[in-house]
Amino acid sequence: MRRTLKKHFYKEYIALFLIPLSLYMVVFFLYPVIYNIVISFFDYSLGAEKTFNGGKNYLLMLRDEQFVGSLKTTILYIIYCVASQLFLGILIALLFNIESKIIGFFRTLILLPTVFTPLVVGLLWKALYHPDQGFLTYYMRLIGLNIGRGLLVERHLALLGIVIIDIWEWTPLVAIIVLAGMKSLPKEPYEAGMLDGAGKFALFRHITLPLLKPTLLIALLIRTLDAMKTFDTIFATTNGGPGTATTVANLRIYEVGIQQLHIGYAASMSNVLLVAGVVLGMVFMQVLYSNRGRNK
Amino acid sequence: MKRIVSALCVLTAVSVFLFAGGSQDSSAKGAVSELPYEGVSLTMAVCAEQYADYLKELGKSFADETGADILVDVIGYVELYQKITQDYASNTKLYDLATVDIMWTGEFEDKGFTMDLTDLMERDADEVNLDDIIPVMWSMGSWNGRQIAFPMAGYANSLIYRKDLFTDPKEMKAFKARYGYDLGAPQTLEALEDIAEFFTRPEQNLYGLVANGARGSAVAQDWMEYMRAYGASLYDEKGNVAVNSPEAKASLEFYVRIFDKYAPPGAIGYWWDDRETAYRTGQAVMQSSWSIARAGYENPEISMVGGKTGMTATPLAEGVDSLYGVGGWGVGINDDIGDVEKEASWAFVKYICGEKMQKEWMLHDGAPIRYSTLNDPGILKEKPWLPVMLNVFENGDGDYRPRGPKANEVQNALGLRVNQAITHELTVDEAIKKMEEDLIAIGE
Repeated sequence: MRRTLKKHFYKEYIALFLIPLSLYMVVFFLYPVIYNIVISFFDYSLGAEKTFNGGKNYLLMLRDEQFVGSLKTTILYIIYCVASQLFLGILIALLFNIESKIIGFFRTLILLPTVFTPLVVGLLWKALYHPDQGFLTYYMRLIGLNIGRGLLVERHLALLGIVIIDIWEWTPLVAIIVLAGMKSLPKEPYEAGMLDGAGKFALFRHITLPLLKPTLLIALLIRTLDAMKTFDTIFATTNGGPGTATTVANLRIYEVGIQQLHIGYAASMSNVLLVAGVVLGMVFMQVLYSNRGRNK
Repeated sequence: MKRIVSALCVLTAVSVFLFAGGSQDSSAKGAVSELPYEGVSLTMAVCAEQYADYLKELGKSFADETGADILVDVIGYVELYQKITQDYASNTKLYDLATVDIMWTGEFEDKGFTMDLTDLMERDADEVNLDDIIPVMWSMGSWNGRQIAFPMAGYANSLIYRKDLFTDPKEMKAFKARYGYDLGAPQTLEALEDIAEFFTRPEQNLYGLVANGARGSAVAQDWMEYMRAYGASLYDEKGNVAVNSPEAKASLEFYVRIFDKYAPPGAIGYWWDDRETAYRTGQAVMQSSWSIARAGYENPEISMVGGKTGMTATPLAEGVDSLYGVGGWGVGINDDIGDVEKEASWAFVKYICGEKMQKEWMLHDGAPIRYSTLNDPGILKEKPWLPVMLNVFENGDGDYRPRGPKANEVQNALGLRVNQAITHELTVDEAIKKMEEDLIAIGE
């Protein structure tokens, strides 16, 4: 009798318990997204009246060379950052996959950059890269690196400078994710491999890497979406310059929406970025699940 | 029953405590207060300029005299624009007052962000002594016949140079031998470039001329100084886009040469504070700058060139009328706030922009708007460069930079194109052509 009542209670009231979370999701996620989609069809500048303009904002975007250029820069930025971070992350994880007190200490230490706010990181590195008084600039010149007038002020080097900052800040996170993946790998395949006479590289190439694929995909997904959202560091260091060398899509959206107050047009640009993010996420998840299916 | 009785006791005690306290407070206020704005609290958004610190002091003394509580929120230039426009547009009444850049005048008037002060100025004309204000200052806040901000801090654009190097006999002799004329404060752009070239000595970490290069308002505003000096303008008298002119091209070519040849290596990334640092640390010999920074060169805590600085009106290209660049800040009152706050805000505006406080402020990093400040013997003794400023103001042009409803967009567009030119992402011709296209598109 008691069990039946309990069951009945859950059935009747389960929706009630979901209300707070649903409300939270609607107010803070669904409503802003829908509102953003709606205003992207309006000619809407802050302080002026909204006027419906159909899909004019989206057509305008196609002809906006600055936005198209910023998308290209974003793609390059993502490729450079994520590829380097995955490569270095795996290397660091291999190095730290040894049990010792010193390694444990360094394992904690390398996470330090990830706790800084990106804006603070940007300001810090701006000082380090300062063309006249920067610590890094001084040593780069001392060892004979040709950085022209400075890493962040030369058009062909500025993006590299920004990528280095992102690598410094986020490689530790990738390393920790990969390390966690390595720790959870089964020992049996390695024992079998060693019995077959496989060397360390062969074990890594044929056992570790394939087994780590789901972990690497998760790290790839997190970092790709994160790199796509980048704004603070670039805002603090180069503000998109020199010229348009480091203008990523978010910075362009900020310029249009916050500096020029063209909210409608900025909304349409951010919708494009949102769709790109969702599609990318879905592709990654698809690959991840198909991979898990095969493993089963 | 016991519980009910105890609950009633607690409720009674709480009520007595609350209401007795409230009543005492209000009666105390009524009995003591004779200050006109007692209980009024005003928040002012202020650009992080040199004058901002002493404005806090003026806020305190105003509070002592009137009872109004003044909170001064000091914010960077770009962030200030964003914060106050969002506040005004969304009627959040975060700020009662704000400093308004001369370039924001048209936009604020067009969107009705700040209240029209014309009637209040007429009402209090004697108290404000309008005739004492230098005429060019009215371009701060005046648009379409309305005064949406009151002039607060006037800036004269001028050339700052190292007087000690200019008067060094060795340097003078070497300059004369190389260029065939005497070294002195340049009056023409040709002379300015000769001197910049002469003093550019990278091996000594010495550079002839420095300017802002960072993408955005910094590079746009500095370039417009040179554009004016070449006699070019963004728009013609009818309001048509006129930036694609030989004079504008010449000015941009000159500007590009500054970064290619005469400026410190990092100048491409300089904002105003970086440029000032380059001068104050002795790395740069000359810069075109706003007069607000002038007093700081004599402050040994922040400057290594104390007693070594000269100031003159900016050099002009041959045949260009002597109209110098004037800029600065007005103070505007949020149109959304209540009448009591508006009245208190206007009282504060009159207080800080009045003759007495302007003089006091001038001695503490203020910027003059009044003849009485610039001609005051005591202040002149302390700041002997004021006659140069008066000359610029009396022959000044507050409209050489855009002030219309879309000035901010224009500035953003220029900020990108000029930066693209100095970084050689675009040639000068391409940059000017793009500027023209941008300005036409913004106008549409």
